[in-house]
Amino acid sequence: MNTALFSEFCNRAAGNGVLFYYSGEFSQNVVHTLGDAVRRRVDACGANGVVRRKVFSAFVEMAQNIVHYAEAANGAGRIGAVAVGLGEEGRFSVLCASPVRADQVERIRSRLDPLRSMTLDQIRQAYREQLRNEAHAEDEVSRGAGLGFLTLAREASEPIEYRITYTSGDHSRAEFYLRAVI
Amino acid sequence: MNDFHLAPTGETPEIHFEYSRNRLSVAGESYPENAMTFYAPIRSSLAQYLEQLSVDAAVEAHFAFKYFNSSSTKLIRHLIGMLNDAASQGVRVALHWYHDPDDDMMMEFGMDLGEEYRQIALKVSPLETA
Repeated sequence: MNTALFSEFCNRAAGNGVLFYYSGEFSQNVVHTLGDAVRRRVDACGANGVVRRKVFSAFVEMAQNIVHYAEAANGAGRIGAVAVGLGEEGRFSVLCASPVRADQVERIRSRLDPLRSMTLDQIRQAYREQLRNEAHAEDEVSRGAGLGFLTLAREASEPIEYRITYTSGDHSRAEFYLRAVI
Repeated sequence: MNDFHLAPTGETPEIHFEYSRNRLSVAGESYPENAMTFYAPIRSSLAQYLEQLSVDAAVEAHFAFKYFNSSSTKLIRHLIGMLNDAASQGVRVALHWYHDPDDDMMMEFGMDLGEEYRQIALKVSPLETA
């Protein structure tokens, strides 16, 4: 990459409302440091306390998902990407991308698809029910005990959006993209 | 029994269980990498304390979270469930749940605790900001 290409990359990002972007290795230290930076960036845009908290919460859920799940997916470390954008209408979006194991794809779809058709009231109700559901309390696969995507959906002002693309011809590898608009 | 204290970090709350005064406080943010590992010693210390309490004791608990992530959520509820169990054995438990004035979700979470854990005297109040 030369400076001309990098300049084009920076301008395109800024022109598309990208406030913040990180791609690379994820660890808890990275989550913490980026989280602080996201809070400050959102603050600097004049967002109120409620919006800042929701953006931060969505960011932490996504970034910790990468920490917990990405390594098993590609065997090459916990690699992923996160971004925070600010749209023309003044709403923030939080996005992430990470590799997922092909055998996790159905599990992800089965958790996200129902959330996408729920109203906010239904999401809050599902969240309260999941709080009382002890079945996942010690679930080692789901660190969030079934609450991760629900927490994200609760922070969002419109249905969370996702996309899964296969990155190998035999469908053994996939990339998972997720977006929450605050 | 010795008091239990954990200093806050950027991603874990301060835990100050003053067993000598029957006063328990938790304050800050909670999003450790592994919430189960973080809360395990807190749970076991609290369990030991509650075990040796006399049934006519009165415990005051203060929970003031600014933020917690999804994997901390059930573990925090579990601590309150433990207090509720002690309360159903006769111990009087007063729980103060604080939230930022504009944090409706944290307020609702507190009110929901009150519906679930009925043996505890729960008070949900906005955190005064200086």
